[in-house]
Amino acid sequence: MSDEALWSNIFKNKDVKRENIFSVLKRVPVFQDLGYKEFKSIERILHRRLYKAGEVIFRENEPGVGMYIIEQGKVNITVGRDNKLLVLLSNGDFFGEMALILSGKRTASAIAQTETTLLGFFQPDLFNLLETNPKMGNKIMFRLSQMIAERLRLGTLENRQLKARLNTLQAELEKYKGENSNGK
Amino acid sequence: MESSVTRFLKIVLVVAALAGALWILSAIRSTIILLVIAALLAYILDPFASYLEFRGLSRTTATIVIFLLVGIVIFTVFYFLIPALSREITGLQKGLDGQSTSRLLNDVETYIKKAIPLLQDQDINLQGELQNIIKNIGETLFSLLVNLVPLISSVVIIPFAVFFLLKDGRDMKKQLVSMVPNRYFEMTLTLLHKIDEQLGSYLRGQFIDSTIIGLLAVTALWILDVPYYVLIGIFAGLANMIPYVGPFSGAIVAILTVLLNHGSGQDVLYVGLAFLFIQLIDNVVVQPMVLARSVNLHPLTIIFAIIIGGQFFGIIGMLVAVPTTGILKVLARESYTNARRFNLI
Repeated sequence: MSDEALWSNIFKNKDVKRENIFSVLKRVPVFQDLGYKEFKSIERILHRRLYKAGEVIFRENEPGVGMYIIEQGKVNITVGRDNKLLVLLSNGDFFGEMALILSGKRTASAIAQTETTLLGFFQPDLFNLLETNPKMGNKIMFRLSQMIAERLRLGTLENRQLKARLNTLQAELEKYKGENSNGK
Repeated sequence: MESSVTRFLKIVLVVAALAGALWILSAIRSTIILLVIAALLAYILDPFASYLEFRGLSRTTATIVIFLLVGIVIFTVFYFLIPALSREITGLQKGLDGQSTSRLLNDVETYIKKAIPLLQDQDINLQGELQNIIKNIGETLFSLLVNLVPLISSVVIIPFAVFFLLKDGRDMKKQLVSMVPNRYFEMTLTLLHKIDEQLGSYLRGQFIDSTIIGLLAVTALWILDVPYYVLIGIFAGLANMIPYVGPFSGAIVAILTVLLNHGSGQDVLYVGLAFLFIQLIDNVVVQPMVLARSVNLHPLTIIFAIIIGGQFFGIIGMLVAVPTTGILKVLARESYTNARRFNLI
Protein backbone atom coordinates (compact mmCIF):
# COMPACT_ATOMS: atom_id res chain seq x y z
CA MET A 1 0.00 0.00 0.00
CA SER A 2 2.74 2.44 0.96
CA ASP A 3 4.43 1.70 -2.35
CA GLU A 4 1.38 3.11 -4.03
CA ALA A 5 1.94 6.51 -2.48
CA LEU A 6 5.57 6.41 -3.52
CA TRP A 7 5.29 5.25 -7.06
CA SER A 8 1.88 5.82 -8.55
CA ASN A 9 1.28 9.11 -10.31
CA ILE A 10 -1.10 10.74 -7.87
CA PHE A 11 -0.90 13.97 -9.85
CA LYS A 12 -2.08 12.48 -13.11
CA ASN A 13 -4.44 14.20 -15.46
CA LYS A 14 -6.31 11.37 -17.15
CA ASP A 15 -6.93 12.50 -20.75
CA VAL A 16 -3.66 11.59 -22.42
CA LYS A 17 -2.96 11.31 -26.14
CA ARG A 18 0.16 11.60 -28.31
CA GLU A 19 1.36 15.22 -28.12
CA ASN A 20 4.34 17.46 -28.44
CA ILE A 21 7.01 17.84 -25.79
CA PHE A 22 5.66 21.12 -24.43
CA SER A 23 2.24 19.80 -23.60
CA VAL A 24 3.89 16.74 -22.03
CA LEU A 25 6.10 18.94 -19.90
CA LYS A 26 3.29 21.29 -19.01
CA ARG A 27 1.43 18.47 -17.29
CA VAL A 28 4.43 17.45 -15.19
CA PRO A 29 3.85 19.17 -11.84
CA VAL A 30 7.57 19.90 -11.41
CA PHE A 31 7.44 22.24 -14.40
CA GLN A 32 3.98 23.64 -13.75
CA ASP A 33 5.07 27.17 -12.91
CA LEU A 34 7.31 27.65 -15.93
CA GLY A 35 6.61 30.02 -18.80
CA TYR A 36 7.07 29.30 -22.50
CA LYS A 37 10.63 30.63 -22.63
CA GLU A 38 11.55 28.57 -19.61
CA PHE A 39 10.12 25.45 -21.24
CA LYS A 40 12.46 26.13 -24.13
CA SER A 41 15.46 26.09 -21.82
CA ILE A 42 14.19 23.02 -19.97
CA GLU A 43 13.93 21.22 -23.29
CA ARG A 44 17.61 21.94 -23.90
CA ILE A 45 18.50 20.37 -20.55
CA LEU A 46 16.38 17.22 -20.84
CA HIS A 47 17.88 14.04 -22.26
CA ARG A 48 15.66 12.18 -24.71
CA ARG A 49 16.23 8.41 -24.46
CA LEU A 50 14.73 5.59 -26.49
CA TYR A 51 14.03 2.19 -24.90
CA LYS A 52 13.02 -1.07 -26.53
CA ALA A 53 10.15 -3.14 -25.14
CA GLY A 54 11.43 -5.04 -22.10
CA GLU A 55 14.53 -2.90 -21.69
CA VAL A 56 15.50 -1.96 -18.13
CA ILE A 57 15.49 1.79 -17.46
CA PHE A 58 16.94 1.45 -13.99
CA ARG A 59 17.24 -1.32 -11.44
CA GLU A 60 16.20 -1.40 -7.81
CA ASN A 61 19.12 -0.65 -5.44
CA GLU A 62 21.21 0.99 -8.15
CA PRO A 63 22.16 4.59 -7.44
CA GLY A 64 19.81 7.01 -9.15
CA VAL A 65 20.41 10.61 -10.14
CA GLY A 66 17.17 11.80 -11.64
CA MET A 67 13.63 11.51 -12.88
CA TYR A 68 12.13 10.36 -16.16
CA ILE A 69 9.06 11.68 -17.94
CA ILE A 70 7.28 9.35 -20.36
CA GLU A 71 6.93 11.18 -23.65
CA GLN A 72 5.56 8.14 -25.43
CA GLY A 73 5.12 4.54 -24.32
CA LYS A 74 4.47 2.46 -21.20
CA VAL A 75 6.70 1.71 -18.21
CA ASN A 76 6.35 -0.96 -15.55
CA ILE A 77 7.48 -0.07 -12.06
CA THR A 78 8.38 -3.27 -10.23
CA VAL A 79 10.00 -4.43 -6.99
CA GLY A 80 11.83 -7.52 -5.84
CA ARG A 81 13.58 -10.29 -7.70
CA ASP A 82 10.34 -11.59 -9.16
CA ASN A 83 9.61 -8.10 -10.56
CA LYS A 84 6.29 -7.68 -8.74
CA LEU A 85 4.33 -5.02 -10.61
CA LEU A 86 3.59 -1.91 -8.54
CA VAL A 87 2.16 0.33 -11.19
CA LEU A 88 2.00 0.77 -14.96
CA LEU A 89 2.81 4.29 -16.13
CA SER A 90 2.08 5.79 -19.55
CA ASN A 91 2.36 9.00 -21.62
CA GLY A 92 2.84 12.12 -19.53
CA ASP A 93 3.60 10.17 -16.34
CA PHE A 94 6.89 10.58 -14.57
CA PHE A 95 8.90 8.58 -12.08
CA GLY A 96 12.09 8.67 -10.02
CA GLU A 97 11.72 12.31 -8.97
CA MET A 98 12.94 11.50 -5.44
CA ALA A 99 16.39 10.86 -6.89
CA LEU A 100 16.53 14.50 -7.97
CA ILE A 101 16.85 15.49 -4.34
CA LEU A 102 18.08 12.41 -2.56
CA SER A 103 20.77 10.71 -4.61
CA GLY A 104 20.35 7.36 -2.93
CA LYS A 105 19.49 3.95 -4.24
CA ARG A 106 16.42 3.40 -6.40
CA THR A 107 13.58 1.85 -4.40
CA ALA A 108 12.06 0.06 -7.41
CA SER A 109 12.97 -1.00 -10.93
CA ALA A 110 11.61 0.62 -14.08
CA ILE A 111 11.19 -1.49 -17.19
CA ALA A 112 9.84 -0.34 -20.55
CA GLN A 113 6.75 -2.38 -21.42
CA THR A 114 6.50 -1.13 -24.99
CA GLU A 115 8.88 0.86 -27.14
CA THR A 116 9.23 4.00 -25.05
CA THR A 117 10.61 7.50 -25.35
CA LEU A 118 11.62 9.07 -22.07
CA LEU A 119 12.77 12.54 -21.15
CA GLY A 120 15.39 12.42 -18.41
CA PHE A 121 15.89 15.27 -15.96
CA PHE A 122 18.91 14.79 -13.72
CA GLN A 123 20.39 16.15 -10.53
CA PRO A 124 23.54 17.64 -12.09
CA ASP A 125 21.37 19.57 -14.55
CA LEU A 126 19.11 20.77 -11.73
CA PHE A 127 22.17 21.97 -9.78
CA ASN A 128 23.47 23.69 -12.86
CA LEU A 129 20.09 25.34 -13.37
CA LEU A 130 20.02 26.55 -9.76
CA GLU A 131 23.38 28.18 -10.41
CA THR A 132 22.73 29.77 -13.78
CA ASN A 133 19.02 30.52 -13.50
CA PRO A 134 18.02 30.43 -9.81
CA LYS A 135 14.58 31.88 -10.44
CA MET A 136 13.64 29.01 -12.69
CA GLY A 137 15.53 26.50 -10.54
CA ASN A 138 13.60 27.62 -7.48
CA LYS A 139 10.24 27.27 -9.24
CA ILE A 140 11.17 23.66 -9.97
CA MET A 141 12.59 23.03 -6.49
CA PHE A 142 9.45 24.41 -4.87
CA ARG A 143 7.15 22.18 -6.93
CA LEU A 144 9.43 19.25 -6.25
CA SER A 145 9.26 19.78 -2.48
CA GLN A 146 5.49 20.15 -2.72
CA MET A 147 5.23 16.85 -4.53
CA ILE A 148 7.42 15.10 -2.06
CA ALA A 149 5.52 16.64 0.87
CA GLU A 150 2.28 15.43 -0.71
CA ARG A 151 3.68 11.93 -1.10
CA LEU A 152 4.85 12.08 2.50
CA ARG A 153 1.39 13.16 3.64
CA LEU A 154 -0.24 10.31 1.73
CA GLY A 155 2.37 7.90 3.05
CA THR A 156 1.70 9.03 6.59
CA LEU A 157 -2.06 8.59 6.12
CA GLU A 158 -1.57 5.11 4.72
CA ASN A 159 0.83 4.33 7.51
CA ARG A 160 -1.70 5.46 10.11
CA GLN A 161 -4.45 3.35 8.52
CA LEU A 162 -2.15 0.35 8.40
CA LYS A 163 -1.19 0.80 12.03
CA ALA A 164 -4.86 1.01 13.03
CA ARG A 165 -5.55 -2.12 11.01
CA LEU A 166 -2.58 -3.86 12.60
CA ASN A 167 -3.80 -2.92 16.05
CA THR A 168 -7.26 -4.32 15.32
CA LEU A 169 -5.73 -7.52 13.97
CA GLN A 170 -3.47 -7.82 17.01
CA ALA A 171 -6.40 -7.28 19.35
CA GLU A 172 -8.36 -9.93 17.46
CA LEU A 173 -5.40 -12.30 17.70
CA GLU A 174 -5.12 -11.77 21.46
CA LYS A 175 -8.81 -12.35 21.80
CA TYR A 176 -8.58 -15.50 19.70
CA LYS A 177 -5.63 -16.77 21.75
CA GLY A 178 -7.46 -16.04 25.00
CA GLU A 179 -10.51 -17.87 23.79
CA ASN A 180 -8.41 -20.84 22.70
CA SER A 181 -6.55 -21.17 26.02
CA ASN A 182 -9.84 -20.84 27.90
CA GLY A 183 -11.29 -23.54 25.70
CA LYS A 184 -8.47 -25.90 26.68
CA MET B 1 39.59 -24.43 -36.58
CA GLU B 2 37.76 -21.80 -38.51
CA SER B 3 36.59 -20.05 -35.37
CA SER B 4 40.14 -19.80 -34.06
CA VAL B 5 41.23 -18.40 -37.40
CA THR B 6 38.48 -15.77 -37.31
CA ARG B 7 39.40 -15.00 -33.73
CA PHE B 8 43.01 -14.58 -34.71
CA LEU B 9 41.96 -12.32 -37.55
CA LYS B 10 39.82 -10.29 -35.19
CA ILE B 11 42.71 -9.84 -32.77
CA VAL B 12 44.99 -8.81 -35.61
CA LEU B 13 42.41 -6.33 -36.83
CA VAL B 14 41.91 -4.84 -33.35
CA VAL B 15 45.66 -4.53 -32.80
CA ALA B 16 46.06 -2.96 -36.24
CA ALA B 17 43.24 -0.53 -35.53
CA LEU B 18 44.79 0.39 -32.17
CA ALA B 19 48.20 0.87 -33.75
CA GLY B 20 46.62 2.99 -36.47
CA ALA B 21 44.80 5.11 -33.92
CA LEU B 22 48.01 5.56 -31.92
CA TRP B 23 49.91 6.48 -35.07
CA ILE B 24 47.27 9.06 -36.03
CA LEU B 25 47.25 10.42 -32.48
CA SER B 26 51.02 10.82 -32.42
CA ALA B 27 50.98 12.33 -35.90
CA ILE B 28 48.47 14.98 -34.89
CA ARG B 29 49.80 15.47 -31.38
CA SER B 30 50.50 19.14 -31.91
CA THR B 31 46.85 19.63 -32.79
CA ILE B 32 45.79 17.55 -29.81
CA ILE B 33 47.81 19.70 -27.46
CA LEU B 34 46.13 22.79 -28.93
CA LEU B 35 42.77 21.22 -28.24
CA VAL B 36 43.78 20.21 -24.71
CA ILE B 37 44.93 23.75 -23.94
CA ALA B 38 41.74 25.20 -25.43
CA ALA B 39 39.60 22.75 -23.45
CA LEU B 40 41.44 23.56 -20.22
CA LEU B 41 40.99 27.29 -20.77
CA ALA B 42 37.31 26.92 -21.67
CA TYR B 43 36.85 24.77 -18.59
CA ILE B 44 38.49 27.34 -16.34
CA LEU B 45 36.37 30.13 -17.85
CA ASP B 46 33.10 28.18 -17.69
CA PRO B 47 31.94 29.39 -14.25
CA PHE B 48 32.37 33.01 -15.35
CA ALA B 49 30.13 32.34 -18.34
CA SER B 50 27.62 30.66 -16.03
CA TYR B 51 27.75 33.64 -13.69
CA LEU B 52 27.04 36.05 -16.56
CA GLU B 53 24.17 33.80 -17.63
CA PHE B 54 22.85 34.05 -14.08
CA ARG B 55 23.01 37.86 -14.45
CA GLY B 56 20.67 37.52 -17.40
CA LEU B 57 22.94 37.34 -20.46
CA SER B 58 22.56 34.67 -23.09
CA ARG B 59 25.37 32.12 -23.32
CA THR B 60 26.65 33.65 -26.56
CA THR B 61 26.71 37.19 -25.14
CA ALA B 62 28.34 35.90 -21.97
CA THR B 63 31.06 34.23 -24.05
CA ILE B 64 31.66 37.41 -26.06
CA VAL B 65 31.87 39.52 -22.89
CA ILE B 66 34.40 37.11 -21.37
CA PHE B 67 36.45 37.18 -24.56
CA LEU B 68 36.53 40.96 -24.59
CA LEU B 69 37.57 41.10 -20.92
CA VAL B 70 40.25 38.42 -21.26
CA GLY B 71 41.45 40.07 -24.45
CA ILE B 72 41.88 43.40 -22.69
CA VAL B 73 43.74 41.78 -19.79
CA ILE B 74 46.07 39.81 -22.08
CA PHE B 75 46.73 42.83 -24.25
CA THR B 76 47.57 45.00 -21.23
CA VAL B 77 49.80 42.38 -19.67
CA PHE B 78 51.67 41.73 -22.89
CA TYR B 79 51.90 45.40 -23.75
CA PHE B 80 53.84 45.98 -20.57
CA LEU B 81 55.59 42.65 -20.18
CA ILE B 82 56.68 41.67 -23.69
CA PRO B 83 59.35 44.39 -24.04
CA ALA B 84 60.68 43.56 -20.57
CA LEU B 85 60.50 39.84 -21.30
CA SER B 86 62.36 40.00 -24.61
CA ARG B 87 64.97 42.29 -23.05
CA GLU B 88 65.38 39.76 -20.25
CA ILE B 89 65.84 36.79 -22.54
CA THR B 90 68.42 38.48 -24.73
CA GLY B 91 70.03 39.86 -21.58
CA LEU B 92 70.10 36.41 -20.06
CA GLN B 93 71.88 34.96 -23.06
CA LYS B 94 74.43 37.76 -23.15
CA GLY B 95 74.64 38.22 -19.39
CA LEU B 96 77.10 35.43 -18.83
CA ASP B 97 79.67 36.96 -21.15
CA GLY B 98 80.00 39.85 -18.75
CA GLN B 99 83.28 40.22 -16.90
CA SER B 100 81.75 40.32 -13.47
CA THR B 101 80.05 36.98 -13.98
CA SER B 102 83.15 35.27 -15.25
CA ARG B 103 85.05 36.53 -12.25
CA LEU B 104 82.44 35.08 -9.93
CA LEU B 105 82.43 31.78 -11.77
CA ASN B 106 86.21 31.62 -11.61
CA ASP B 107 86.01 32.13 -7.87
CA VAL B 108 83.50 29.32 -7.58
CA GLU B 109 85.69 27.08 -9.75
CA THR B 110 88.78 27.66 -7.60
CA TYR B 111 86.71 27.03 -4.49
CA ILE B 112 85.42 23.73 -5.83
CA LYS B 113 88.91 22.63 -6.88
CA LYS B 114 90.22 23.44 -3.41
CA ALA B 115 87.38 21.68 -1.66
CA ILE B 116 87.43 18.54 -3.78
CA PRO B 117 91.05 17.57 -4.46
CA LEU B 118 90.00 14.85 -6.90
CA LEU B 119 88.85 17.46 -9.35
CA GLN B 120 92.14 19.38 -9.16
CA ASP B 121 93.41 18.47 -12.60
CA GLN B 122 90.08 18.42 -14.31
CA ASP B 123 88.91 21.29 -16.38
CA ILE B 124 85.58 22.15 -14.87
CA ASN B 125 84.78 25.16 -17.05
CA LEU B 126 81.69 26.15 -15.09
CA GLN B 127 81.21 29.23 -17.14
CA GLY B 128 81.08 27.39 -20.44
CA GLU B 129 78.64 24.82 -19.06
CA LEU B 130 76.37 27.43 -17.57
CA GLN B 131 76.48 29.47 -20.73
CA ASN B 132 75.52 26.45 -22.75
CA ILE B 133 72.67 25.62 -20.41
CA ILE B 134 71.26 29.12 -20.45
CA LYS B 135 71.68 29.45 -24.19
CA ASN B 136 69.84 26.16 -24.55
CA ILE B 137 67.06 27.23 -22.21
CA GLY B 138 66.52 30.37 -24.21
CA GLU B 139 66.61 28.48 -27.46
CA THR B 140 64.43 25.55 -26.42
CA LEU B 141 61.92 27.84 -24.80
CA PHE B 142 61.39 29.68 -28.02
CA SER B 143 62.00 26.92 -30.49
CA LEU B 144 59.53 24.69 -28.70
CA LEU B 145 56.91 27.36 -28.50
CA VAL B 146 57.44 28.34 -32.08
CA ASN B 147 58.30 25.09 -33.85
CA LEU B 148 56.15 22.47 -32.21
CA VAL B 149 53.01 24.36 -33.00
CA PRO B 150 53.44 27.25 -35.34
CA LEU B 151 52.88 30.27 -33.16
CA ILE B 152 50.49 32.04 -35.47
CA SER B 153 48.17 29.09 -35.84
CA SER B 154 47.99 28.58 -32.07
CA VAL B 155 47.35 32.26 -31.50
CA VAL B 156 44.42 32.00 -33.89
CA ILE B 157 43.19 28.47 -33.22
CA ILE B 158 43.27 28.42 -29.42
CA PRO B 159 40.98 31.44 -28.92
CA PHE B 160 38.74 30.18 -31.72
CA ALA B 161 38.41 26.75 -30.09
CA VAL B 162 38.00 28.25 -26.60
CA PHE B 163 35.18 30.47 -27.89
CA PHE B 164 33.15 27.61 -29.29
CA LEU B 165 33.92 25.22 -26.44
CA LEU B 166 32.76 27.88 -23.99
CA LYS B 167 29.64 28.75 -25.98
CA ASP B 168 28.54 25.28 -27.07
CA GLY B 169 30.36 23.04 -24.58
CA ARG B 170 27.21 22.09 -22.73
CA ASP B 171 25.37 21.08 -25.91
CA MET B 172 28.44 19.17 -27.10
CA LYS B 173 28.51 17.30 -23.80
CA LYS B 174 24.80 16.49 -24.12
CA GLN B 175 25.34 15.20 -27.66
CA LEU B 176 28.18 12.97 -26.49
CA VAL B 177 26.17 11.65 -23.55
CA SER B 178 23.23 10.89 -25.85
CA MET B 179 25.42 8.36 -27.67
CA VAL B 180 26.02 6.32 -24.50
CA PRO B 181 23.93 3.10 -24.38
CA ASN B 182 20.95 3.13 -21.97
CA ARG B 183 22.60 0.68 -19.58
CA TYR B 184 25.53 3.00 -18.87
CA PHE B 185 23.74 6.28 -19.35
CA GLU B 186 22.98 7.26 -15.75
CA MET B 187 26.40 6.05 -14.66
CA THR B 188 28.08 8.18 -17.31
CA LEU B 189 26.07 11.19 -16.24
CA THR B 190 27.00 10.71 -12.58
CA LEU B 191 30.60 10.10 -13.54
CA LEU B 192 30.80 13.30 -15.59
CA HIS B 193 29.22 15.29 -12.79
CA LYS B 194 31.58 13.90 -10.15
CA ILE B 195 34.60 14.50 -12.36
CA ASP B 196 33.39 18.00 -13.11
CA GLU B 197 32.88 18.75 -9.41
CA GLN B 198 36.38 17.69 -8.45
CA LEU B 199 38.32 18.77 -11.50
CA GLY B 200 36.60 22.10 -11.81
CA SER B 201 37.70 23.28 -8.41
CA TYR B 202 41.11 21.64 -8.82
CA LEU B 203 41.97 23.18 -12.19
CA ARG B 204 40.55 26.59 -11.36
CA GLY B 205 42.34 26.45 -8.01
CA GLN B 206 45.67 25.60 -9.64
CA PHE B 207 45.21 28.31 -12.23
CA ILE B 208 44.28 31.02 -9.73
CA ASP B 209 46.99 29.93 -7.26
CA SER B 210 49.70 29.97 -9.93
CA THR B 211 48.55 33.35 -11.23
CA ILE B 212 48.53 34.94 -7.78
CA ILE B 213 51.93 33.51 -6.82
CA GLY B 214 53.38 34.55 -10.19
CA LEU B 215 52.08 38.09 -9.84
CA LEU B 216 53.30 38.35 -6.24
CA ALA B 217 56.73 37.06 -7.24
CA VAL B 218 57.01 39.44 -10.20
CA THR B 219 56.01 42.37 -7.98
CA ALA B 220 58.35 41.43 -5.14
CA LEU B 221 61.32 40.89 -7.46
CA TRP B 222 60.57 44.12 -9.29
CA ILE B 223 60.55 46.04 -5.99
CA LEU B 224 63.81 44.36 -4.95
CA ASP B 225 65.28 45.29 -8.34
CA VAL B 226 66.23 41.72 -9.25
CA PRO B 227 67.08 41.33 -12.94
CA TYR B 228 64.86 39.07 -15.08
CA TYR B 229 62.04 39.59 -12.60
CA VAL B 230 59.35 38.77 -15.16
CA LEU B 231 60.91 35.45 -16.20
CA ILE B 232 61.65 34.37 -12.63
CA GLY B 233 58.17 35.43 -11.49
CA ILE B 234 56.45 33.43 -14.24
CA PHE B 235 58.68 30.45 -13.44
CA ALA B 236 57.87 30.72 -9.71
CA GLY B 237 54.13 30.83 -10.46
CA LEU B 238 54.28 27.75 -12.67
CA ALA B 239 56.67 25.84 -10.42
CA ASN B 240 54.33 26.43 -7.51
CA MET B 241 52.08 23.68 -8.93
CA ILE B 242 54.72 21.15 -7.90
CA PRO B 243 54.45 20.47 -4.17
CA TYR B 244 57.55 20.80 -1.93
CA VAL B 245 60.04 21.29 -4.75
CA GLY B 246 58.17 24.01 -6.61
CA PRO B 247 58.19 26.85 -4.10
CA PHE B 248 61.91 26.32 -3.40
CA SER B 249 62.94 26.25 -7.02
CA GLY B 250 61.48 29.70 -7.65
CA ALA B 251 63.41 31.10 -4.68
CA ILE B 252 66.62 29.31 -5.65
CA VAL B 253 66.54 30.67 -9.20
CA ALA B 254 65.98 34.18 -7.87
CA ILE B 255 68.80 33.92 -5.32
CA LEU B 256 71.20 32.49 -7.93
CA THR B 257 70.36 35.39 -10.23
CA VAL B 258 71.10 37.87 -7.46
CA LEU B 259 74.40 36.11 -6.74
CA LEU B 260 75.40 36.01 -10.40
CA ASN B 261 74.76 39.72 -10.58
CA HIS B 262 76.95 40.37 -7.57
CA GLY B 263 74.19 41.05 -5.15
CA SER B 264 75.19 41.48 -1.53
CA GLY B 265 74.27 39.10 1.25
CA GLN B 266 71.60 41.58 2.19
CA ASP B 267 70.03 41.34 -1.29
CA VAL B 268 69.97 37.56 -1.04
CA LEU B 269 68.36 37.84 2.38
CA TYR B 270 65.68 40.17 1.07
CA VAL B 271 64.89 37.90 -1.88
CA GLY B 272 64.75 34.90 0.44
CA LEU B 273 62.46 36.74 2.82
CA ALA B 274 60.25 37.87 -0.05
CA PHE B 275 59.79 34.27 -1.20
CA LEU B 276 59.19 33.14 2.37
CA PHE B 277 56.54 35.80 2.70
CA ILE B 278 54.93 34.80 -0.62
CA GLN B 279 54.86 31.17 0.55
CA LEU B 280 53.28 32.27 3.79
CA ILE B 281 50.55 34.16 1.93
CA ASP B 282 50.10 31.16 -0.36
CA ASN B 283 49.78 28.68 2.47
CA VAL B 284 47.68 30.76 4.82
CA VAL B 285 45.48 32.79 2.48
CA VAL B 286 45.47 31.63 -1.15
CA GLN B 287 45.60 27.83 -0.94
CA PRO B 288 42.90 27.33 1.69
CA MET B 289 40.64 29.52 -0.41
CA VAL B 290 41.22 28.19 -3.91
CA LEU B 291 42.82 24.76 -3.83
CA ALA B 292 40.73 21.63 -3.71
CA ARG B 293 42.38 18.91 -1.72
CA SER B 294 40.35 16.29 -3.54
CA VAL B 295 43.07 15.73 -6.13
CA ASN B 296 46.12 15.03 -4.06
CA LEU B 297 48.93 14.06 -6.40
CA HIS B 298 52.05 12.54 -4.93
CA PRO B 299 55.12 14.74 -5.58
CA LEU B 300 56.85 11.78 -7.24
CA THR B 301 53.88 11.32 -9.60
CA ILE B 302 54.04 15.00 -10.47
CA ILE B 303 57.78 14.96 -11.18
CA PHE B 304 57.46 11.94 -13.48
CA ALA B 305 54.41 13.45 -15.15
CA ILE B 306 56.40 16.59 -15.88
CA ILE B 307 59.32 14.61 -17.29
CA ILE B 308 57.00 12.55 -19.51
CA GLY B 309 55.09 15.66 -20.60
CA GLY B 310 58.39 17.26 -21.51
CA GLN B 311 59.50 14.22 -23.50
CA PHE B 312 56.38 14.17 -25.62
CA PHE B 313 55.32 17.76 -25.95
CA GLY B 314 58.26 19.89 -24.82
CA ILE B 315 57.75 22.94 -22.62
CA ILE B 316 54.01 23.09 -23.29
CA GLY B 317 53.75 19.44 -22.32
CA MET B 318 55.53 20.16 -19.04
CA LEU B 319 53.09 22.97 -18.32
CA VAL B 320 49.98 20.88 -18.88
CA ALA B 321 51.46 17.76 -17.25
CA VAL B 322 50.23 18.51 -13.72
CA PRO B 323 46.60 19.32 -14.58
CA THR B 324 46.49 16.44 -17.07
CA THR B 325 47.70 14.01 -14.40
CA GLY B 326 45.02 15.40 -12.08
CA ILE B 327 42.39 14.78 -14.76
CA LEU B 328 43.60 11.20 -15.30
CA LYS B 329 43.62 10.48 -11.58
CA VAL B 330 40.07 11.73 -11.02
CA LEU B 331 38.93 9.94 -14.19
CA ALA B 332 40.38 6.62 -13.08
CA ARG B 333 39.20 6.89 -9.48
CA GLU B 334 35.65 7.96 -10.30
CA SER B 335 35.25 5.42 -13.11
CA TYR B 336 36.26 2.68 -10.71
CA THR B 337 33.98 3.73 -7.82
CA ASN B 338 31.05 4.34 -10.15
CA ALA B 339 31.44 1.05 -11.93
CA ARG B 340 31.38 -0.63 -8.51
CA ARG B 341 28.32 1.31 -7.36
CA PHE B 342 26.49 0.31 -10.52
CA ASN B 343 27.60 -3.31 -10.05
CA LEU B 344 29.49 -3.39 -13.33
CA ILE B 345 32.63 -4.83 -11.73
